[in-house]
This record gives sequence, structure tokens and C-alpha cells, in this order.
Amino acid sequence: MLEIRDLIVSYGAIEAVRGVTLTAAPGAITAIVGANGAGKSSLLRAITGLAPIKSGSVLLDGKDITKLPASRRAELGLAHAMEGRRIFRQLTVEENLQLAWQFGRRRNAWADALERVFVTFPILKDKRRVQAGLLSGGQQQMMIVSVATICNPSYLLLDEPSLGLAPIIVQEIYTFFTERCREDGTTVLLAEQMAALALKVSEHGYVLRQGRVVREGPSKELVDSGLVAALSSAYL
Amino acid sequence: MEEFLTLLLAGISVGAVYGLIAIGLNLTFWTTKTMNFGQGSVMMLCAMLTATLIARGWPQALSILAALGIIVVLMVFTETYTVRPALKIEGSMGWAVSTLGVGIVLQGCAALWFGSQALAFPDIIFSAIDDVVVFGVHVSLQYIAVLVLALALVVVFELLVRGTVWGRAMRAVSMDSDLASVIGIPTRTIVLGSYIGSGILAGVSGILVAQIGGTVDPAFGFELVIFGFVAAVLGGMGSTTGALVGGIVAGVLQQMVGGYISSAAQHGMAFALLILILVVRPQGFFGQREIVKV
Repeated sequence: MLEIRDLIVSYGAIEAVRGVTLTAAPGAITAIVGANGAGKSSLLRAITGLAPIKSGSVLLDGKDITKLPASRRAELGLAHAMEGRRIFRQLTVEENLQLAWQFGRRRNAWADALERVFVTFPILKDKRRVQAGLLSGGQQQMMIVSVATICNPSYLLLDEPSLGLAPIIVQEIYTFFTERCREDGTTVLLAEQMAALALKVSEHGYVLRQGRVVREGPSKELVDSGLVAALSSAYL
Repeated sequence: MEEFLTLLLAGISVGAVYGLIAIGLNLTFWTTKTMNFGQGSVMMLCAMLTATLIARGWPQALSILAALGIIVVLMVFTETYTVRPALKIEGSMGWAVSTLGVGIVLQGCAALWFGSQALAFPDIIFSAIDDVVVFGVHVSLQYIAVLVLALALVVVFELLVRGTVWGRAMRAVSMDSDLASVIGIPTRTIVLGSYIGSGILAGVSGILVAQIGGTVDPAFGFELVIFGFVAAVLGGMGSTTGALVGGIVAGVLQQMVGGYISSAAQHGMAFALLILILVVRPQGFFGQREIVKV
């Protein structure tokens, strides 16, 4: 179970997350929705250890990991697919995957891990020796989610996985992690601007505005209450 | 003709050492976009400690290892207390001042402990007068030994960076340190390692240059680190081949100007070269262009 208690993230004088308490239920998808700048990315970055935590705590299976460096959290089975196409551009697809496997929590053999990626995304097999920077946006996103899941993490944080992608690719990425969640029992925390999409696949949802949780509840209830329409009209 | 060839060999040999210094600067530039501006004092201290220990009757190899050991401790201190705190502030250039400060303090301490007079540096493999005759030209064995050693170190360095897991992890940190730590690479260890590696390269360079020059004094490293910086910029910041080529170009030009024009002019060479390269080709000979598909 992933729990966040009274978390405050601040960059100097600016508070991006202002006291968020949240629980990601084990083996389920939990959505965090909200507009640009609501604090979704900062929240995820604080969970992985990249953003500066001012106060509050992050608990993984009841263990306080607030003070651990990011690399130690990865060893505990926490994976994070960051927003903005973060990849090692000059390395090949296979080198990107291999680095993540070598330094992650290694439970599976390399050949098996690679095979599983190639079965899921056959295009990556064709492009395995290509520099990752030369892939198309969709292929890069496939690689990013593969890098995040290559060590079969227990917790997967996804930051705007649909951003800038064609609908058919978005479908493929969403299918990928919903199936992963179901097959492996991975706990997924999904941050999305596209509220309709995120609430459709998740069981529980949190709505963030200006760094605070303004609503939470079962995703279905949030959708039924007209939240999606309200959120869409807020930024369209 | 003989004078020309002698100057050329001296230039290539010293230039290869400038290349080593530049690779040391590159190493920390990769991992943190910082470099140790006190690197000159690291070279000086390593050479001075080696000379002092040998003068006290320690075996040569042990003296060099002990000096390098002290350099490692010094680099751990520099990274932990002068670079890491400065990097916590986004966009801070504090590290430039703090590393330079450590360098200046070390230079002062060296003057206090060893005196500001130049110490004689002992002959380690060959003496300055050993030479071989190749095609009727006298070639200094010392220059050859320094050149071979410097080139061997560059090759070993490249093999470590390209061929090992830790080398690849270091390249990953240089490309995107957030992503590297998210996938489990211990970035702090890598950064610390890059500072230690940088210090060892500087220390060895200091010993090699002191061996050629025959003496070492507290101000010894100042000009060297500038030549190392020129080599790095000339070759293209971050490129190992560039550092070596840039170092050799700088070394040969320095020797030629010193030999044919005036030995006073050779000191200004580094700056003239730096200004020229920044005007004509700021990315250097081998400056990397990143391929980005939009």
C-alpha cells in the first residue's frame, strides 16, 4: 500500500503541493486529475524522491521512505514514468531497457524481461538497435512504460501517459498498464489532465487544485457527479 | 630540423598530459555540469607530496600511491562540502567560488608546509638526459615515457566508460540525472566517483608534468589547469578524443611559440588560443551535436 500523509512540496517560496493525504489501494489504479499546475507532477516526483519534501511523509507498505534517495526507492519496487518523454536519447532502445533492468530490483532474467517487452510492443523489437532519440513519440512512450515496468515493479507512477499522443497509441498505452495492473497486481498511481480517460480506467480518483485535494471518491461517482464536464470546461 | 622535431615531441608529450587534465575536468562536467576550479592545486599537491615522500626515503611507487590516496580524500571533501551544497540551489554558481577557494587555501598551505621555493622532482623512470637516437635525431626518453603513459591512461579511461556497467551509468547520469536516479542508479555515488576520478587524473598529470619540468612549487598548477581548460574547450567540452587532440594542439603550439618566438610569449598562448576558438568555433573540434527528433 502506498500512503501519502500531509505532504507539502515547496520550491523555495512556492508551494506546489500543500498538504495532500492520499492512499493508493493495492493492486488497483488510482487516478489524480486536475488542471495544468495543480501539483500532480510535483506530487509524483515527491513520491519517487525527486521533488523537495518540506513536511509530511510517504509510506510504502507501512515503511516511511520520505528520507530515502530516489535510487533506493527504485530498489523497493517503485517505478515512475515521468512526463515529457524522459529517455536517454543517445542510447539505443535496448541499452535504455538494460540500464533500467541492471539497476532496478532484479527478479527476472534479462532475456525473459526483454522478451516480455518485445511481445507487448513488437515495434520495439524492430527498433532495438536504434537510438531512442530517433523514435517517434508513440514509440518513445512505449519504451518509457517498458523501462518503468521492466523489473516488475510493485508500484507504478504514471505522469500524463497520454500527453501529445495519437488516440490509437493512447489506447495501446492504457491497455498495457491496465493489463499489467490486473496480471501482476501492480499498484498504479495515474496522473492525468484528461480526466474522462483516467477516471474510466481507475477505481478511485482524487481531484487536485492548486496543490490541494478538493474532491475524492470512487471514480464512477466522480464521473456521475458531472466532474469531467466541470473540469473540461475549466480549461477548454 | 632537429630543433623542430624536439619541440614537436615535447609539444605532443606535454599536450597529451594537458589532454589528461582536460579529461579530468570533463568527467565532473559530465555528471554535474561543474568542475573543480581548484584542480591546479590538486596537481601541485600530488606532485609535491610525491617529491617530499621520495626525498624522505620512501619507495617511489609507494610515495605516488600515498600521494594519490591523499588526493582521493581531498576530492571526497571537495565534492561533499563545496560542490554538493552549492548544487542544492538551482542554477547556483557557488561551486565555482567554493572549489576555487579550496584550491587557494591548499596553495597557501603548501607554501607554509613546503616553503614557496621550488622543490626538485626526482627522476622516476628516465632522467632528463636519457635519450635514444632515431634517424639521427636525439629523442628524450622522458618525453616518450610521459606520452606513452598519458595515452595508455586515456585508453583505459575510455574502456572503463564505454565497456563497464558503471561507465554506462555515468553516461546515463550525464544525460539525465533525474531519470537515472528514478531507474535506480545511485547518482550521488556516481557524482562522488567522478570527482575522485577527476582528482586522480589531475594528480597523475601533476606528477608527469613535474617529471618533465624537474621542479614543483606551490604555484605550479595554475598555468597547467588553464592549459587543461583550453584543451577541453578546444576539443569540445565533454569529448574525450577532443580533449586529447585539443591538448596536443595546445601543447605543440606552446612549444613552437616558446622555441621560435619567445619563451615569454608561450605563457599567453593558452589565452590567445581560448579566445580564438571561442570566436571561430565555440563548440570545439569535436563538440557533440545531439540528435533530436521533434
